[in-house]
Amino acid sequence: EKMPAYKVYYFNARGRAEPTRLLLAAAGVPFEDVRFEVEKWPEYKPKMPMGQAPVLEVDGTMICQSAAMARFVARETGRAGKTNLELAKADMIVDGVADLMNAMANYHYYEPDEARKAEKKKTFFETTLPQFLGHFEKLLVANNGGDGFFAGDGLTHAETFFLCLYESISKENPNVLNAFPKLTALVERIRTYPGIKEWLAKRPQTEF
Amino acid sequence: GVHCGACRKMSVYELHYFNNRGRAEPARLLFAAAGLPYRDIRIQSEQWPEYKLKLPMHQVPVLEVDGTMICQSVAIARYVAKVTGHAGKTDLEQAKVDMLVDGIDDVMTKKGDYVWHEKDETRKMEKKTAFYETTLPQFLSHFEKLLRTNNGGDGFLVGEGLTHADAWFLCLADDILLDFPDIFSPYPKLAALVERIRTYPGIKEWLAKRPQTPF
Repeated sequence: EKMPAYKVYYFNARGRAEPTRLLLAAAGVPFEDVRFEVEKWPEYKPKMPMGQAPVLEVDGTMICQSAAMARFVARETGRAGKTNLELAKADMIVDGVADLMNAMANYHYYEPDEARKAEKKKTFFETTLPQFLGHFEKLLVANNGGDGFFAGDGLTHAETFFLCLYESISKENPNVLNAFPKLTALVERIRTYPGIKEWLAKRPQTEF
Repeated sequence: GVHCGACRKMSVYELHYFNNRGRAEPARLLFAAAGLPYRDIRIQSEQWPEYKLKLPMHQVPVLEVDGTMICQSVAIARYVAKVTGHAGKTDLEQAKVDMLVDGIDDVMTKKGDYVWHEKDETRKMEKKTAFYETTLPQFLSHFEKLLRTNNGGDGFLVGEGLTHADAWFLCLADDILLDFPDIFSPYPKLAALVERIRTYPGIKEWLAKRPQTPF
């Protein structure tokens, strides 16, 4: 059976494309990692289904929305949970992580007032984030003690989203997972996962 | 309930939310479309501070499946869609459904931002204007186009049958039509789609009997 041709379109950043890139790397699936400069975006935008990036192109069909892309690759490569319930458990973590990423984008990119920006950032790191990390730690532990993955017994798109969140928050606060031992160990487990480990070493190093 | 093939046991579904359509309604529509029974739990606000402590992320909606709790409205609706055969047939179809749902979710979140989270009245009006003059028309244009690419646009959003994308779309439509009854005039295929979903067997009956709430 012929392997589909995958292309990931995004800016030169990890951002919202990285969870999908990590899954392709974990599966050893080759893909064209298209990264355009900000000035080039107006050329690409009209070709995208909803005028946004990232986009995953699969044999010419374009899928947008970072979670939809990641879930598709996860399904295709056998990393989307084995049952509907397992998938739902992975999905709910992804959605929770996406909510946090949106909260960060909200103060970082969309709050023009400097004082309000600082306030929102403070609330995020002192209240919102620790609350959710607490929920994630508990959910991880509920899955067979927490020494594996979020859903079922393998890596899913939940892990790749979580690693991306971790990379953002730990830049701001390297101790952000100190109170969460199982999440701390999970980060290492994801980082050393075959395929992901090699990708982390060779991927373009970007600020975001 | 749904048969677990081996043990012939029916699953028990309980949906926890407030007495609103909000983020629970897509799942309710899917249960209705499938004729799948569930407990439609509507929490009173006084109960909320204690109630939330039992929930995985202290938020609603939550779908409880034989005691296992799933949170996050999009994950819940997808689960119900998968169980009832309304998620799309192939991996690619499912991805198309998922991307449309995420697009609708983004728009709903943007609306929620000015309705619920913007306290300054001037900024609220500014954001509402931007929503109806820019965000929503851009979004509806994309969706009319995407619908038309699906066999001309006289069916559902993806593939050949109703999916959770259509359930979400109806929920968004119900919401925006309250503010602007003419919002779909430039988008005839979307307007027809809304009617098609409203009259879908099971959904039609649910719309007639569901609790009437402002949002």
